[in-house]
Amino acid sequence: MDLTQGFGARSGVVGPVTGLESLNFSDEFRHLVTTMPPENTGGSFTALLEMPVTQAMELLHFTDSSSSQARTVTGDIAPTTLHPFGALTFPSNSLLLDRAARFSVIATEQNGNISGETANSLPSNSGANLDRVKAEPAETDSMVENQNQNYSSGKRKDREKKVKSSTKKTKSSVESDKLPYVHVRARRGQATDNHSLAERARREKINARMKLLQELVPGCDKIQGTALVLDEIINHVQSLQRQVEMLSMRLAAVNPRVEFNLDSILASENGSLMDGNFNGESYHQLQQWPFDGYHQPEWGREEDHHQANFSMGSATLHPNQVKMEL
Amino acid sequence: MVESLFPSIENTSESSPESRRKKPRISEMAEIESRRINEESLKRWKTNRVQQIYASKLVEALRRVRQRSSTSTETDKVVSGAAREIRETADRVLAASARGTTRWSRAILASRVRAKLKKHRKAKKSTGNCKSRKGVTETNRIKLPAVERKLKILGRLVPGCRKVSVPNLLDEATDYIAALEMQVRAMEALAELLTAAAPRTTLTGT
Repeated sequence: MDLTQGFGARSGVVGPVTGLESLNFSDEFRHLVTTMPPENTGGSFTALLEMPVTQAMELLHFTDSSSSQARTVTGDIAPTTLHPFGALTFPSNSLLLDRAARFSVIATEQNGNISGETANSLPSNSGANLDRVKAEPAETDSMVENQNQNYSSGKRKDREKKVKSSTKKTKSSVESDKLPYVHVRARRGQATDNHSLAERARREKINARMKLLQELVPGCDKIQGTALVLDEIINHVQSLQRQVEMLSMRLAAVNPRVEFNLDSILASENGSLMDGNFNGESYHQLQQWPFDGYHQPEWGREEDHHQANFSMGSATLHPNQVKMEL
Repeated sequence: MVESLFPSIENTSESSPESRRKKPRISEMAEIESRRINEESLKRWKTNRVQQIYASKLVEALRRVRQRSSTSTETDKVVSGAAREIRETADRVLAASARGTTRWSRAILASRVRAKLKKHRKAKKSTGNCKSRKGVTETNRIKLPAVERKLKILGRLVPGCRKVSVPNLLDEATDYIAALEMQVRAMEALAELLTAAAPRTTLTGT
């Protein structure tokens, strides 16, 4: 293998489990993989996992936080050693599920996008994993430790189930503000088993969000009942979308007549937006522009004035020639 | 913050037989969470600065679109096509300003790529599939509960949220509504400006 020549001879002693994030660790593994494949003397990590070093290396790729380097390295090794690890993407996916639940990222979507770029599915999967793992290395460690214990059980199905249940628990814990379990005593006459509690938590969540939607949509406060509120929301969304279509038609009708080479339009539009709306956050930025004098007069007369004004203006404007097709 | 509340409540519950204090527990958490989400989305789409940024980006995009279609002759028929283009451009700029944190924004940005790919495929095939799907669901279940039906409709309205869980769907809808309102405000202002500018130019020009 080219890799054995690529990496120098290193000591067989591998760092502790906490050193998961160091790239040297993965380098040593690659060395071990290429030179001593079935041996478990690769280090404490593999001994802990009681897995062949090759599989341990794949696991390592999931948890390696130095994504960029690892990605390139996995790209090197990809065609040769990582192919039998296709099946090992299960734990990564459950990890991704957890991530997805927390960050609302579609795992498949990102994987698809990334694989389109790198044109190699496996390293791209691990690359995507690494990206997401990099965001929260602390939690990764704990998850990896859970997974380590799961792996040591032996069968992959059990591991899958355990990981899935742990992710489910973590998912529900994530949903309940990152708490491990909701210790709640029930009200009078209400069941206390897990299903009811979960059901109640879910309902409360949905009701809270519905309340916020009600506040957002005008005229929903007086309505009682979820179905009618949803009706209102749907109507509101549809009306907004129709308004956008109408406005786009108006813009399309206006477009051909006015050439778009108008930075002045941009300036005045910002100005009118500021005037028309409350809460002028960046109003102080625009105090240099003479708004009132700008809206009323004719365009031709204003050109020279505004070139001078724009030179004093804020950085957002680029005072080019104010060309207008009159 | 909420975690610290738990152990204290655990102790007090043993002393008091009634679990009145536990009652707001779940709803409190749910409310805190959803309020956080809603405040975020409102703050994102309500500020003036966001609207300005959106408007300027929209102008840029429209300028580019216009340059691209400037060669074609402008007839009345083209207006509707241009309107569609403008709407899609506006949606894309809106989705871009969401910075990829919401599902609908990602769906909008992704759909453009997908639409270009699907252009070459047969349209009949997809419509055939849709019909069969609708027929199957209608025969299997005559009437879904009203709320679920409406949630499905809402899921279809918000782009990219058809098969999304209910709480996430409501979150997405919240953000989407706020974003749409901002879009409407910005486009309205832009249209006002342009229609105000255009007749003046023609008048002063002649």
